[in-house]
Amino acid sequence: MGNKGDYSVIKTTINTNSSAQIKTKRYFSESFKESFVGYLYVSPFFILFGIFGLFPILFSFYLGFQKWNGLNEMEFVGLNNYKLIYSDPVFWKAIYNTIIIGFLGCFPILVFSIILAFILNSAFVRLKSIFRVSLFMPYVTSTVAVAIVFGVIFSNMEFGIANLTFSWFGFEPIKWQVGEWAVKIAIACMVLWRWVGYNVIIFIAGLQSIPIELYEAATIDGATTRQQLFYITVPLLKPVIIFTVFLSTVGSLQLFTEPLIFLGRNAREEGITAVLYLWREAFNNMAFGTASAAAVTLFFIIIIVSFINYLITNRISS
Amino acid sequence: MKGKISIIFFMFVLSLLLVACSDSDETGGESSSGGDGNSEEKVTLDFWVFGQFGFDGLVEKYNEENPNVEVNLQLQESEDMHNNLFTSLSAGSGAPDISMIEIAYIPQFREAQDHFYNLYDYGADDVKNNFLDWAWKNAESPEGDYMIALPTDIGPTAMYYRTDIFEEAGLPSNPDEVAELISTWDDYVEVARTIKSETGTNITDSPELLFNAVRDQAPEQYFNEDNELIIETSPYVKEAYDFATGLIQEGLVGQNELWTPEWGNAMSEGTSATLLAASWMVGRVKENAPDAAGNWAITTLPEGAGNWGGSFISIPKQSEYPEEAYEFISWLTSPEQLLEAFNVAGIFPSTPGVYEDEDFLSKSDEYFSGTKTASVFADAAQKVEPVFIGKDTPIVHNELVTALINVASADGDPEEEWNNAVERIKDQLARN
Repeated sequence: MGNKGDYSVIKTTINTNSSAQIKTKRYFSESFKESFVGYLYVSPFFILFGIFGLFPILFSFYLGFQKWNGLNEMEFVGLNNYKLIYSDPVFWKAIYNTIIIGFLGCFPILVFSIILAFILNSAFVRLKSIFRVSLFMPYVTSTVAVAIVFGVIFSNMEFGIANLTFSWFGFEPIKWQVGEWAVKIAIACMVLWRWVGYNVIIFIAGLQSIPIELYEAATIDGATTRQQLFYITVPLLKPVIIFTVFLSTVGSLQLFTEPLIFLGRNAREEGITAVLYLWREAFNNMAFGTASAAAVTLFFIIIIVSFINYLITNRISS
Repeated sequence: MKGKISIIFFMFVLSLLLVACSDSDETGGESSSGGDGNSEEKVTLDFWVFGQFGFDGLVEKYNEENPNVEVNLQLQESEDMHNNLFTSLSAGSGAPDISMIEIAYIPQFREAQDHFYNLYDYGADDVKNNFLDWAWKNAESPEGDYMIALPTDIGPTAMYYRTDIFEEAGLPSNPDEVAELISTWDDYVEVARTIKSETGTNITDSPELLFNAVRDQAPEQYFNEDNELIIETSPYVKEAYDFATGLIQEGLVGQNELWTPEWGNAMSEGTSATLLAASWMVGRVKENAPDAAGNWAITTLPEGAGNWGGSFISIPKQSEYPEEAYEFISWLTSPEQLLEAFNVAGIFPSTPGVYEDEDFLSKSDEYFSGTKTASVFADAAQKVEPVFIGKDTPIVHNELVTALINVASADGDPEEEWNNAVERIKDQLARN
């Protein structure tokens, strides 16, 4: 595209220095100029990513070796931050909680959302868009509202909705806000409620790419709905399932909003997650060094888990 | 051809942007040099506030009276404003000329005093006597030579109580009589037992507020002036903790955590007889319990008073006009203006001069059974003792509240919970 003359016009708008213009004219080859324009087109993303993505990541690595409260001078402390958090039982508790809540949250999400997506995609449901929108609603609901609603449902009191419901079946009231497992289950419920809709949308997209003829053929052959689900839908959805498992794993390792709004600033040990732990270090305790050390550790944990995930999914799909 | 045109257009826009950026740098430089000597130039002061202080009218008035100054009030949500202030100080640019600071954030910013102008350099000594001593000391360095912010409002604490429950238990319900009835914390326990046995109602709803009320009457809190943790050696915090857990274990205290919906609901239901809280809780109680008018009243706390909340007004070092800014903030925090702000927005003034104003003192509130609210809180404000609040106070407080909740809700053993909390506190303090 274009001849030499056009590009020199462009260059004069960049450089007013004419000697530089002559120099660049000789220096840059035609093919370089072509690719330069291409790079220019993609540059906005990379500039923004550099500023808001890459720089903070690199800065976290740097901060991990510093002692810093955000306002005063930084002080180099070597590996002391890592020593501090690795010897902190709460940190390991946070990692443990993250994994447990991740399992409690993710597994039901996948099962529910496949089933819901299958039902919503089938021919016998009317008003599909209403159901789809209402399923997606939790994802866009204000977290403040969520916090209040779930605070009322999982109240310690006997008249909390969860405890009230349990009492009809003769159970003792449960201390949702302080119990070791109760807190985790309550948070997992919140995760489930917020993320099912999101996954259902992805699954519906996946389901719609499955040719309808397969189902028709199966119906003619006399396959039941259940058989259709297990022998057509699930196998053909495999790539989508792998994708959502991937997203859910990484997402659950970064679980933050739900425990924060459920536990509040106190971040009790029963429900503290890895990201909540590092958030508390940074913005409650003003220890950005240890917070960064925790972030770096989490970064490597996510890389390892993603890699394992990748190996497993590779084996499944091959 | 179309492609070439768009490339040229893109380059044009890019160069415009670059020019625009470099241009603003230059003008920025010019105005800073202009600020030093040229007094005819109009000075614009950005002023960050985080809530309804009733300053809008005052700022307007000041702008009218001072044509060479334009104070530009910018309202933000509290947490956002403090985060923005923190970030802009840390980054070295973007801070306003004047900023409000909530009392909870003061210790942290006081530790980084170099980011603020020392108001003593601008004549803060002259207005010092206008303010309550303890309020002033909050924003002063422990050595007393650096002042980062002037106090605007305070939150003296008092005892809100339900007259209907007191009457039902056969107790007097008039503020003066209740103050006499509960003049010590021991009396408070006695009354708690009576109310429980007569009406089955808890004396108070939140373990945290009970603990705070006793703690805030002590001359020391969690840290000494060298920022060393003293809760293991100083008796006061442990006494407050023991007092609170004692009442909890007797089953006289509710289990609601502050600010939860249940906690708000309990105000209107009348499921607890007293609420130990600050002056600004007046508005919260009315909001939470609009139908309970006449069932609430306010009287003084036993054995003294404390402070919960309040705000300050500071001049970040990034401002180019510290003198103009100081002139404005010292005007705004004068007793007359703070009284005006109190009348508009109900913020409780930090200047005891206001407490002699007849209109101020006679202010009564029908919702609170005609209690002379301003007078009760003015009394309390003068009883508060100065306390040093360390920068790591939130760490200690959060862990002690966790311990209290464990005792109240999870049947924890008070001693064990205390020791665990101290352990966790020390772990976290090791990082700072």
